Amino acid sequence: MSHMPCGVYHERYAQDHALWRSRFVRVKMLLLAVFVYLLFPLWADTYYLGVANMVGYTVLGALGVQLLIGYCGQVTLGHAAFLAVGAYTSTLLVLQVPWPNFMLRAGLAYPVSIIAAAFAAGLWSLLFGLPSARVKGFYLILTTMAAQFITVDFVITQYVSQIGGRGQAFSLPPGTIKIGVWTIDNDRRVYFLMAFLVTCLTFALVNLLRSKVGRAWIAIRDNDIAAETMGINVVRYKLLAFFVAGFMGGIAGAFWISNLAAVSPEHFPWSWSLWLVGVILIGGVGSIHGVFFGSLFMVVVMELLTLAVMSLAGVYPELLMKLNFVKESAFGLAICGFLLFEPNGIAYRWWQMKNYFNLWPFSY
Amino acid sequence: MTTPHTTIEDEVILSLQKVSLDFGRVRALVNVSLQVRRGTIHSIIGPNGAGKTVMLNCISGLYRPQEGTILLDGRPINHLKPYERARLGIARTFQKIELFKGMTVLDNIRLGRHMHLHSGVLSGAFYLGKTAREEIEHRAFIEEEIIELLEIAHIRNRVVGMLPYGLQKRVELGRALALQPRIILLDEPLAGLNLEEVEDMARFILDINEEERWRITCVLVEHDMGVVMDLSDRVFALNFGVPIMEGTPAEVQNSPAVIEAYLGQEDRYATRR
Ligand SMILES: Nc1ncnc2c1ncn2[C@@H]1O[C@H](COP(=O)(O)OP(=O)(O)O)[C@@H](O)[C@H]1O
Ligand SMILES: [Mg+2]
Repeated sequence: MSHMPCGVYHERYAQDHALWRSRFVRVKMLLLAVFVYLLFPLWADTYYLGVANMVGYTVLGALGVQLLIGYCGQVTLGHAAFLAVGAYTSTLLVLQVPWPNFMLRAGLAYPVSIIAAAFAAGLWSLLFGLPSARVKGFYLILTTMAAQFITVDFVITQYVSQIGGRGQAFSLPPGTIKIGVWTIDNDRRVYFLMAFLVTCLTFALVNLLRSKVGRAWIAIRDNDIAAETMGINVVRYKLLAFFVAGFMGGIAGAFWISNLAAVSPEHFPWSWSLWLVGVILIGGVGSIHGVFFGSLFMVVVMELLTLAVMSLAGVYPELLMKLNFVKESAFGLAICGFLLFEPNGIAYRWWQMKNYFNLWPFSY
Repeated sequence: MTTPHTTIEDEVILSLQKVSLDFGRVRALVNVSLQVRRGTIHSIIGPNGAGKTVMLNCISGLYRPQEGTILLDGRPINHLKPYERARLGIARTFQKIELFKGMTVLDNIRLGRHMHLHSGVLSGAFYLGKTAREEIEHRAFIEEEIIELLEIAHIRNRVVGMLPYGLQKRVELGRALALQPRIILLDEPLAGLNLEEVEDMARFILDINEEERWRITCVLVEHDMGVVMDLSDRVFALNFGVPIMEGTPAEVQNSPAVIEAYLGQEDRYATRR
């Protein structure tokens, strides 16, 4: 059997394996980075930064949900629990640990707490992923819901919130959230932290999905029996998916406390777990683009709704009282609409449009 | 044969000893014993519902027989899970194609490399050094050894679910080959293929069995008698879960017991050539 010279082949495969294969895509990504890290924060005022932070927080949470549902086929309806574990771990570490002075001065407490929060939430998620070894589908959904209620309504509300005798909410005094020399005390700084974390986690997930671990997840999603006969320890990889999803959720939760004056269980209701699932349904299941499109869509639509309700408040004052109700109805309607008319989500439309323009002017 | 392999090829690689399995009142396998020698193509034939697929499922670990022992290289593997058996060198294809339909051809075959890859979560997340290097090495293996052999270069980036049936069968074989198994279980690899595809597939089976590069022992479940008789070293006949005979293709073909088992179904199992 004859072989081609290795070097030649390797170069070609390396090119084929590159994340961004064409110069066009690389330029596009560069422009995106310039926009996200430079133009937008220069231009945006507090309001727009706040909206962007909300989008980023949604992305951070939804990445884990996408990993579980979209890539590993494990439906979860309790992801807010892991955001909560992250937020509380980080908060408690920052507030309760007697950090040595040099660490406080160097602004290390919060970064360390983010990492600890990620591991805590990852392990907690792994624990609630254990039933996935035995049950699938409907029953697994119920056990993930149990994660929500056990974690937030029981453990955090009843016990964790009592630590330090502060009552329901942990308030975060100004200046406690500090990374290096930067105190995260305004929307612009929160924005940069968000942008950095979103970039890191997105790269990590995209890379995982194109290597051994991610392929095993997708194989389990598509056909778990075949996956097992191909040498995949299915239980192990499902648990790994729960761990990584929880890990990302922990980072999301720990990030979000930088945007809050006080942390309380109400920040992590069950409806937020549903919301995250809605985000990937609307954006597109099994697509990283979908996470971004879904988060943008949901947050922006909700903001527009709020603005609309505000402007109508003069005419119909009772509408203002029902803002939450209006939002939840809109959320439900959006999901129904997408499931009926665009079941593959926004990402699929985007992909179609891209193909259309790639083929242009020969498109038909 | 006069090759030095003769002694090795006489070795039994896989053996079933008095294996029985019931599904409630259905006796799917009754006291089935089978010895598969290294390097051979060993066919299992029998009418529909005879228990051939159940037999393969027992070997690959998807079903646990209630009685009997399954040995690989003389060691019992009854207690092992399917993925552990895959790691010992047992690969398979399925009667009803079981590909990862949302993945591309290349990714399906890459998935078959799973146990030969070593990058974990951390190095995968960064996709630096080890992972990137490993992916390229295995890509080269897949391209040069599998895609070339099975002549599927033109569809390597297509999503599997959209491919015609015959090509899906081929990709499934490719995915099993990616494990670099020592023994491969083929469940009706020719079913539903047209004449030309049957010939291609039969050639691939011979290739992976005979080529020095592969030398894979094949356990072949197949209805196409013409191909079975051409390819097989040994044939094992099963009816209602009960072994009826085993021997060379010629012996089995002329056995009255086998002919009787197939009585009334001749046309369905006749060769298509
Ligand atoms: N999971 C199962 N549960 C119950 N019965 C089964 C199962 N799998 C196979 N059987 C039964 O076992 C018998 C053998 O089936 P099978 O091995 O699929 O036949 P074939 O020889 O055509 O491949 C059939 O009667 C079938 O109905
Ligand atoms: Mg069968």
